Amino acid sequence: MTYAKNFPLLMILILFISAFIMPLMKKNIFVKGLSLFTMGISMILSIYTWIFITKNGAYFYRVGHWDAPWGIEFKIGMIEAIMAMLFTMVATLILWYSVYSVEKEVKDNKVSFYYLLVNILLGSLLGMVFSNDLFNCFVFIEVTTLASCGIIVVKDKKENIAATLKYLILSSLGSGLVLMGIAFLYDITGNLNMTYIHKEIMNVHAVYKNTLHIAAGLCTVGIGIKSAMFPLHVWLPDAHSSAPASSSAILSALVLKAPILLLIKILYGVFGFEIIREFAILNLILILGTMGMIMGSVLAIKQKEIKRVIAYSSVAQVGYIFFGIGLGNKLGLTMAIFHIIGHAVTKSALFLAAGAMIEKSGKKKLSELKGIGKEMPYTLGLFTIGALSMVGIPILPGFISKWYLSLASIDAGEFMLIGAILMSSLLNALYYFPIIVNGYFGEENLAGKIYKSNEKSIKELLPLMMLIIGMIAIGAGSNKIMDMIRIGLI
Amino acid sequence: MERLLTNYFETGSMILFGIGFVTLLLHNNLIKKIIGMNIMDTAVFLFFIAKGNIIGKEAPIIKGIHKGIEGYINPLPTALMLTGIVVAVSITAFALALTIKIYEKYGTIELDEITRMRGD
Repeated sequence: MTYAKNFPLLMILILFISAFIMPLMKKNIFVKGLSLFTMGISMILSIYTWIFITKNGAYFYRVGHWDAPWGIEFKIGMIEAIMAMLFTMVATLILWYSVYSVEKEVKDNKVSFYYLLVNILLGSLLGMVFSNDLFNCFVFIEVTTLASCGIIVVKDKKENIAATLKYLILSSLGSGLVLMGIAFLYDITGNLNMTYIHKEIMNVHAVYKNTLHIAAGLCTVGIGIKSAMFPLHVWLPDAHSSAPASSSAILSALVLKAPILLLIKILYGVFGFEIIREFAILNLILILGTMGMIMGSVLAIKQKEIKRVIAYSSVAQVGYIFFGIGLGNKLGLTMAIFHIIGHAVTKSALFLAAGAMIEKSGKKKLSELKGIGKEMPYTLGLFTIGALSMVGIPILPGFISKWYLSLASIDAGEFMLIGAILMSSLLNALYYFPIIVNGYFGEENLAGKIYKSNEKSIKELLPLMMLIIGMIAIGAGSNKIMDMIRIGLI
Repeated sequence: MERLLTNYFETGSMILFGIGFVTLLLHNNLIKKIIGMNIMDTAVFLFFIAKGNIIGKEAPIIKGIHKGIEGYINPLPTALMLTGIVVAVSITAFALALTIKIYEKYGTIELDEITRMRGD
């Protein structure tokens, strides 16, 4: 089964090449079919890759048969395989959902371009996950930025354009910082391949301590802008709330996560556990993550639109991931990666459910969405399960990451931080429960609403249901997933 | 101070980086922001190429006789920055296109006025 080694590259190539066929197609239905088909193929390939990894262990793949320091190299280990599987599965389900609803938010003649951008976006995200070459990762970051700006601005409304420009400017600031960080690393090690940089750093880290600090700081802040670390999140609420529903789901579930994975690779792969532990940068990440957990929720409470609430909730959830990275022990890192998985599935389901409500009722304010539970009982039911996971009800993945993050902070000797986790959970409940309670209950809310009058058909809700079922499965099988992540970390 | 002067390429690129960074963050005019972004990117390119250059050695183009491995510099940083320039150009083009759209929809390219118009 050695041909399975080519699958990661094949996935990226299939997505990139098929993307540019789409504008040539006349009918939108073919474009949707092609997009869904290629994403499905990538999903099957990623599952095969995962099976291959479980049997044979991690391996390095030479792109174009040039050896490592000169050619670009892919590193495919357990974590990369799981992430590829997660990204392609979630993207397939979101695309499936968007097949029925995309025309309501995107103009007919733009649909083919929309799917082009989605395919390119997923290809570059997978590239960022697999690549073991820093500059290659940088190029993929830039492709991601352009494509994700594209899927926001495709709606062509006033607020979309303003939000996109804000996102683009801040993102290019971030990528400039990352490039500067890479320049510093290249300067002292003479390599761009992460494995080789790590070897060189082990030799010279005593001499170039300050330079390494600067490089780590630049990479962290740059990637922090891309993945909405707390004080740098200002672009996120506008961008995620004004985009079409399927775009918001992709943006918040996948686009935020790939740079975080890159940050993990840089901090723990390039610098290594021993060196990064001595750096102050982990404390900075820990503090900003904690602040994000609390402030993201506090800001979410003040919002009046449902999609803005969910967008601010993303800031809080990304805070958990940075919290796990910042703790600096194996359990924290495992939970950060587990939370990436749990949050990707949950948040995409929440955004799609909110998108369905907005699409059917035509209202996006929280005050106008009262009583929606009578008109759309199934949609709000799915939303409720997702929200329960965010708040942290046992079995669901949100609870498991909160539980183990608390254990990890005890391991790290930071008892105060458990309070922050608890407080953030309570704050989560404070903004999710009113949506649900006002949706299902209250005499004056339900007056004049007709039962199931506005519900989407089961066919259209099926991808949403599968996301929720997947989320429950992730929660139930969390031990196995965590074991796999642990194998990948060593 | 003397170290700064001997490494004048690096010093210059850091100053440029600072100028670009501040322009990008503090100006309200979108065109000025985009110019700031370009200055910042250029500073990184200058830094990277300065790091890749060794004074006294040549670019790896063989003219006449081959001088051996010691006679040439590594072409990698230059090639990387070529990629970087392409990326920066595409981002600039996209940002300018969005600026035109903004001007069509809002009638201004000052960011504070746009924020005020949206009322939040």
